Amino acid sequence: MAVIRDVIPAFELFQPTSVDDALSLQARHGAKAWVLAGGLDSFDWFKDRIKRPEVVIDLSQVRELRGIRADANGLEIGAMTTLTEVLRHPVVREKYGILPDAAEAAASPQIRNQGTIGGNVSQDARCWYYRGGWPCYRAGGNICYADTPTGLNREHAILDANRCVAVNPSDTAPALIALDAKFVVRGPKGERVVNAEDYFIGPSIDITRMTILKPGDLLTSIRIPSTWAGSQFYFEKARDRKVWDFALVNVAAAVVTSGSAIERIRLVVNGVAAHPVRLTAVEAAVQGKPRNEETAKMAGELAIQGAEPLQYNGFKVPLMRNLVMRAIRGAAA
Amino acid sequence: MPNTTPPKKYNLIGKNYTTGDLYAKVTGKAKYAEDYRADGMLFCKLALSPMPHARVRSIDASAALAMPGVKAILTADELPPPANSITDNGTVIMANPRGYQALTNEPLFQGQPILAVAAIDELTAAEAIEKIKINFEPLPFVVDPLVSLRPGGPNARTDGNAWVRVPPPPAKPGERPQVTPPELHTVKWTDADFEDAKSGRLPMGKETEEWHVGDMDAGFKNAALVLDETFVTPNTSHQCLETRSTMAYWQNGKVFVHTGTQSTAQTVPAIARWLGIDQSNVVFISEYTGGGFGSKITGDITLVIPALLAKKTGAPVMMRITREEENYIGRARPSLHGRMKVGFSKEGRITALDMFVICDNGPYDMVGDAFSSGRIVSVLYQPMAMRWRGLTILTNTPPRTSQSSPGGMQGIAIMEPVLAKAARKLGVDQVAIRRMNAPEGKAPFGPLVAGKQQYATSAFVKEALDRGSEQFKWNERKVNTGKRVGSKVRGVGVSVSSYSGGTTGFDGLFVIKPDGRIYIQSGVGNLGTESWTDVHRVVAELMDVPWEKCDITWGNTSKNLPWTCPSGGSQTTHAMTRAASAVATDAIKKLQEIAAKDLGGKPEDYVVANQRVARKGGGAGLTLAQAAQRAIQLGGKYDGHELPTDINKFTTVSATALAGQGLLATAKDNYPHDGNTFSFVATFAEVEADVETGQYKILDFLAYADVGTVLHPNALGGQILGRSILGIGHTLGQKWVYDQHYGLPVSKRFHHTKPPTILDIPDKMAWAAVEIPDPETPIGARGIGEPPVGGGCAAIMNALSDALGDEIFRRAPVTADVILASLEAGKPMQDPLRSNI
Amino acid sequence: MAENELADPRTSDSNTISRRDVIKSVIAAGAVSSTSYLFRVSKVWGQASAPGAVDRLITLNVNGQDRRVDVMKQETLVMTLRYKLGLTGTKIGCDQAECGACTVLIDDVPYYSCSVFTHTVRDKKIQTIEGLAKPDGTLHPVQQGVIDQQGFQCAFCMSGFVMATVGYLKTNPNPTRTELAHGISGNLCRCQDYDKILTAMMRGAEHLRKA
Repeated sequence: MAVIRDVIPAFELFQPTSVDDALSLQARHGAKAWVLAGGLDSFDWFKDRIKRPEVVIDLSQVRELRGIRADANGLEIGAMTTLTEVLRHPVVREKYGILPDAAEAAASPQIRNQGTIGGNVSQDARCWYYRGGWPCYRAGGNICYADTPTGLNREHAILDANRCVAVNPSDTAPALIALDAKFVVRGPKGERVVNAEDYFIGPSIDITRMTILKPGDLLTSIRIPSTWAGSQFYFEKARDRKVWDFALVNVAAAVVTSGSAIERIRLVVNGVAAHPVRLTAVEAAVQGKPRNEETAKMAGELAIQGAEPLQYNGFKVPLMRNLVMRAIRGAAA
Repeated sequence: MPNTTPPKKYNLIGKNYTTGDLYAKVTGKAKYAEDYRADGMLFCKLALSPMPHARVRSIDASAALAMPGVKAILTADELPPPANSITDNGTVIMANPRGYQALTNEPLFQGQPILAVAAIDELTAAEAIEKIKINFEPLPFVVDPLVSLRPGGPNARTDGNAWVRVPPPPAKPGERPQVTPPELHTVKWTDADFEDAKSGRLPMGKETEEWHVGDMDAGFKNAALVLDETFVTPNTSHQCLETRSTMAYWQNGKVFVHTGTQSTAQTVPAIARWLGIDQSNVVFISEYTGGGFGSKITGDITLVIPALLAKKTGAPVMMRITREEENYIGRARPSLHGRMKVGFSKEGRITALDMFVICDNGPYDMVGDAFSSGRIVSVLYQPMAMRWRGLTILTNTPPRTSQSSPGGMQGIAIMEPVLAKAARKLGVDQVAIRRMNAPEGKAPFGPLVAGKQQYATSAFVKEALDRGSEQFKWNERKVNTGKRVGSKVRGVGVSVSSYSGGTTGFDGLFVIKPDGRIYIQSGVGNLGTESWTDVHRVVAELMDVPWEKCDITWGNTSKNLPWTCPSGGSQTTHAMTRAASAVATDAIKKLQEIAAKDLGGKPEDYVVANQRVARKGGGAGLTLAQAAQRAIQLGGKYDGHELPTDINKFTTVSATALAGQGLLATAKDNYPHDGNTFSFVATFAEVEADVETGQYKILDFLAYADVGTVLHPNALGGQILGRSILGIGHTLGQKWVYDQHYGLPVSKRFHHTKPPTILDIPDKMAWAAVEIPDPETPIGARGIGEPPVGGGCAAIMNALSDALGDEIFRRAPVTADVILASLEAGKPMQDPLRSNI
Repeated sequence: MAENELADPRTSDSNTISRRDVIKSVIAAGAVSSTSYLFRVSKVWGQASAPGAVDRLITLNVNGQDRRVDVMKQETLVMTLRYKLGLTGTKIGCDQAECGACTVLIDDVPYYSCSVFTHTVRDKKIQTIEGLAKPDGTLHPVQQGVIDQQGFQCAFCMSGFVMATVGYLKTNPNPTRTELAHGISGNLCRCQDYDKILTAMMRGAEHLRKA
């Protein structure tokens, strides 16, 4: 059979107007259904005819999934809220500035207008072999093409790889973990709330998924506690092009200082593993330390312990180290 | 200062105006190929080769053809055989039997079209493709020219791996001269040849082509400094925003083709040749083209697919080429692996230059980038002695063709880092070293031809460097570079750049009608440079007619267009202002003659001005409207019933169709032309790099061009900066990524191949022009499409090495990973020679 | 957000659509169709009673007009505009949400129309390049900026840039050059005429403020 990577195959489309209806459609169609948020990830798969759902459940008409509610306890952001809506929201900007910084770093203005926060954190790996339709581990095969002697892996993982060396491409994910966000998931067994960092999974847990979502599950909202509201934030994304590019490495930090010392901190990098990596060891090591160059250097070196670069991504080790240094410094120096 | 005349005072030339296509463009009314619809239009889709090299054993399309809505399949077996073409001077260019065809039974790169299906809609066509069984026999492949040169290395084609140009056979008496296709050879180097590769230097085994001029031994012996550097430039696709989509149909035995092109007139014989039909049966419509950059010089041979399917089905067929397909068939600039050994005097003058290049040609028609790189380096740096050696090696990667400044950009990118390093080592200013080696006046270049070098028509590079460095405040800026402030460090770079800037010998055609208006026929393609209209300003200028009184017909060959240069290689401004001058001169002469006939006296007693032809110093005259009416009455040469014999037959056909409508002017450019026309640019840039991330940004940019007379400043500025950024893209990140084991590309998306975005360049860039007219052409204008490209690429690289030192990069693009890893290691950390990483 | 994977269709024929499922329908009164796209449905068509089921014949509000149009389930907005409604000013440059040539305004917000299903925006106001000028031909101020500065070269990207600019200026009518560059950074120009484009768009913004 000749392969053609073009023209979206036909499917049945449903546009439920409530979460209940969406869930019942998901339950009815099971693994044959594809849940569509902003579509910026899905359309690639559809147009390349690699993923061929029989049924697409478009969440665009589910109003309850869209919007931002702010109160004293924090924020609740509907999963279908666009990145632009997130980054323009006055309370988000005022108290949780790391999130708009991260959202603004994502892709391009149009993608931020169309793409949702739920979609951004749930997007699939962007490994060019996997997205190109190569039958790799993640696609159900038994090889990782990026991790062969000729594999092209400049963009790939330096940490926590297990067969697959793809990385998580999200910009908002590390910021949300830094803010200690909780992800609200509804599924066949009802609602569950997970810590942001537990939403993402690596290949050792399931090589075909990036998140805990299984067929029938729906990410409905993201809750951000007020714990880190108004703290000192640092977000930076290193990339090739200054717009419409995925992170080579990005870093997100929320820091509360007492005097000159770091009282508490959450520090996360992405683009280095199949899931965002919260650097708990670094967080512990810098606690109580002054926010200076010495602490930054120590943090940077600690952060890259255990990093295992591939043939073409050795630069990610110093890049991650330096971005962690900057996050601790709070500046690019 | 050279002895030149200052710019003439013109009314129209050198002034901005609104081009006649802009309103349609800005309102969305402009129709590009895929915007046309026809009743009963079918859609076709392509089946592409999944393998880098294979032979089609069999095709079973029965299931596809049985589908309702599927109308026809087209395979390579149904294509017309490759045909010879004939140049304007009568030379026969023999068809290359190994040249690229629209479909194939032996794909030589992954993504090459095997067959096409026409159906009622794209969905059906795509489903039909999936039902077709193609049985492939995999064949050996190679996607890296150095791998192919290794002992026992694979060949891209079953019968060889290297193109070698052969001198044309001597013309037999009574026969037309011929140009034969290059020969396909098998070239393998020895293990000993590859010793240099171990230290990251380009191995230099036996070349297939060579030229030299001057005393190389003496040049190196007298050098105070000799550098020997390896540099690799990337393969980059043209990536026109409009893919090469085509709609075609047949009516009354004629084929009507809608597709993008860089040349309306020249695409007609190409279509005729590709389809095996007579030129008179081709109607070509292309009013708007969404970018070409060398990849659509005469359209694209892929257009035969919908044309043949339209014939087969008896219906119009739309072939909408997708971005992924465009990556495969949309053509690309070849990578050059270069090694440059250069000797410098202590002042910085180049005493000897030994250049070796390997061109990654792809599997089809030979590109001239290797040869051209040597020619441009020769003209631009005027070495006292030079040797050039090269090979053009075939790989199983998409076919290449000229891309803006083909070979020139690569040659400059290979040379400029050497020059920058030499200036640092010698303690010479970067502008000064370029100035001292710059061409001037009738500067010689290239190999000896009949015992002597060819030479340029003119060159004002020193003026461009002087004025550019002043405008850029080079001397102030260069002081504080290379010093780290926190993680940031700045650098400034300058580069010179050049490419050919014009050809000669084409035709002009217009009619002055009895309504007093001038109807100008333009065969120039409209790909955005605005030369399709700008060159005709010369007619209005010389005839002293307001621009509003001129109408231009373009973009449709049923509307009687003249023979015109292809808009490639920056020819058009030069070639077609010459043709415009010639045809305006013809009109003026005819007007003078008509006036003398009617009003007495001699033709030279009359002048054409103010929309009249009248006696010098005032007195009796005719309006252009009256003269046009008289031309019709007089007939003969005046209204086009008699035509000059030296115009191209293409123009003759068009002029004949227009005869009798008014005063018909037509003429061939027969102006003298001493030398080869080049344009030049001096390019300046400042960058700021971040040593903690390897990222950098361009802070400021100036391109100062030597292009002779400026026709249309806004269009020229757009070209200078646009082509500069095309070059900058080669530094910032543009490349291909190929998995060598599988011979397949993994870079398919813009975020993989990284064309520059609006945020990758400064908010405000600057350009300027020296504005010294070229003495060898009537209006003094030269072309600009290609010359800025190398300068854009190299000025950024030179600014980076100014900021970060010489031990960072050995190839382009220079991306964050390279900078960071090299800074970390204290030495260049790029995989030095492997292709497409 | 569960984006569930399915079996790789290349190893399984179960997902391919049979031509038996094709219904050649009659064009409904008032609907606009190109000469080429026939009506297509998928094999689960007919579950009209399910929640969220979608009708094929819809009304789209484009450039202030209600247009009845028949739309396939998997059809993207750019295809509907170009092949069903004759609005070919909106271009397809990449069809992969990367170049912006297809940018249109959806309720005044710039969207990549190649990457949104037409059905998703059926209740929204859609504006394309053809809807910018006044009926008497007076250009939109941003279009006039292009005319003033001879902005753009091949102009295949122009509709997208103009629409992105018009959309951006609704949120920031008085941008700096840098701000506007960021605002329209989702659009690629391969002629790389960015400098002149930005000048033209800044001029357009100036016209718009005075209008």
